[in-house]
Amino acid sequence: MAAERLTAKPVATTPKVDRLAWLRDGRTWLRTILIVFIVFIFVFPIYFWFLASFKPFGLIFTLPPVFFFEPTFTWYSVVLGGVPYNKVMLELTGALTSTGGGLYYSVPYIIDSIIIATISTLLVVLVGTPAAYALSRFPMRRRHDVAFWILSTRMMPVVVAAMPFFLMYRALGWIDTYHGVVLVHTVINLPLAILLLKSFFDEVPFDLDEAAMVDGATRWQAFYKVIIYYVLPGLAATAILSFIFSWNEFLLTLTLTRTSVRTMPVAASTFDTATGGTEWGFLAALGTSAMVSVFIFVLFVQRHLVRGLTMGAVKG
Amino acid sequence: MQATRSHETRTRRRVPLWSPEAPLIWMAPAIILLLLYSIYPLIYNIWTSFHKFDPLVRDFVWVGGENWSTLFTDLRALNAVRVTFTYSAIALSVQLTLGLAIAMLLDAGVYGRGLWQSLLILPMVTPPAVVGLIFRLLEHSEYGVISWVLYSAGLIGRQEPLLGGTGQNALFGVLLADIWQWTPFCILILLAGLKALPTDPLEAAEVDGANAWQKFWHVKLPLLRNVLAVVILFRIIDLFRVFDYIYVMTSGGPGQRTETISYYAYQTYVFINWGYTATLGVAILVVIWLTAFLYTRIFHVEW
Repeated sequence: MAAERLTAKPVATTPKVDRLAWLRDGRTWLRTILIVFIVFIFVFPIYFWFLASFKPFGLIFTLPPVFFFEPTFTWYSVVLGGVPYNKVMLELTGALTSTGGGLYYSVPYIIDSIIIATISTLLVVLVGTPAAYALSRFPMRRRHDVAFWILSTRMMPVVVAAMPFFLMYRALGWIDTYHGVVLVHTVINLPLAILLLKSFFDEVPFDLDEAAMVDGATRWQAFYKVIIYYVLPGLAATAILSFIFSWNEFLLTLTLTRTSVRTMPVAASTFDTATGGTEWGFLAALGTSAMVSVFIFVLFVQRHLVRGLTMGAVKG
Repeated sequence: MQATRSHETRTRRRVPLWSPEAPLIWMAPAIILLLLYSIYPLIYNIWTSFHKFDPLVRDFVWVGGENWSTLFTDLRALNAVRVTFTYSAIALSVQLTLGLAIAMLLDAGVYGRGLWQSLLILPMVTPPAVVGLIFRLLEHSEYGVISWVLYSAGLIGRQEPLLGGTGQNALFGVLLADIWQWTPFCILILLAGLKALPTDPLEAAEVDGANAWQKFWHVKLPLLRNVLAVVILFRIIDLFRVFDYIYVMTSGGPGQRTETISYYAYQTYVFINWGYTATLGVAILVVIWLTAFLYTRIFHVEW
């Protein structure tokens, strides 16, 4: 097939570099120092939260803040290890403070979150990429209006959209199901994905499609064998964003699930209220473990896709 | 964009609707999904906005335009509008400026860019509800680290803590969380946009002797227009609907100092004033729609 040749991606050229130039470049160092400072500010709240998850009972609320202490694994033992909440609280406070907290073992919630975010991200990419390609490439008299309509599907405030969604799902029997939550997450992420991907497709010269098709590729082959490689960084960014937004979504999931499907933010909200008080240690432990798992996932995707990009570098 | 036009004139018409050369088949799954999930809520809320839930008969009864006339004389709604606009304007301008500046800094070349870029994702992978909790801890009036820093620097007084007191600084307290979480979003997308920029116009500008500022203002910024539009529009939409942070951090208080429209709508929902909830919801939708529409017109965003 002539189309086979089309899989050849643009070739990256490796220019000869002066290997010690980086040491001499003062301006790059200046920029690096600035970025380290900025990143420190952005990471600090997370770091503090991370510390709180290891702080013993009573050290979380102190002034000046404590940064060095003997770490405790009490909170993790409940959240990840499944040690009964009441047993831990009895040891800590010497009394049974409440009967709540029976649902603090959170590994299933994190797994649910991962399943839902992964599948909905795949769906978003699968459904959104061709739509974005079409929106970018094909002659369409009302292109702008179509794009604006896609954007407008996101404008309904979640607080008021939750009720009709609930009624819709109850009629369909989709309350508390994985596919129900996955679909709703897919839909809320589609507008951003489509418009973002379209803006990336727009940057790829239209001649490339034409050239591929002159060489005998169908429109479909031109899309998935050639053009897609040029938008990989955009695709990676879009996939990561979809995953994150699905991971973070709270109000709709809360409305559309009961007990058999429960994502991490929803679980976190029960921590806050189930026992009357805010239980910072448990919350910090849950928050940290959830954050670490998704962060590893994002790093993996980013690494993977960026490697794909450098194999067929669009730009040096 | 220019290429689009010539392409269009060449292939216009005579393409069957279901051929792979027509957009329909490519877009059908997305459009069907979006239609399914957008039409019913819209119709439901418009219908409900002309009704009132009567607890006695446990059903909606028709009240005509009552909810809508209430809306225009409701001082609490007016306050919520003011809070939402203030919140959105500050958040958007700070996030955009910081986002663009940091993205350009990363794009200009720093050592270990991958590492910094990855670390900047951390705020984004924290659910807003949890971010609210983290900042409640950091902004605690007695033990919060941020409060402590601000007290020490003399920026706020102890009698007016971030989330308490008379609420003078409460909106600022919530904004800190929003800015912290969403600036990385702006950085990530703008950085992807910057990296996808074609090199030719920049090289041409360089040959013509443009300085760094001219290259930014006259070459990069116009080329980024579409990516920038996506960021701005999505931020506007989400900011006008802001709920999670308010819910977790202040519950709209103290008083109604931080009550946004979405939070007010939620309050009316809690008090079973469901007809009015829908009215507020549709009103927000209209305001967002108009703002987005005007934005695309004023800044000539052409998709």
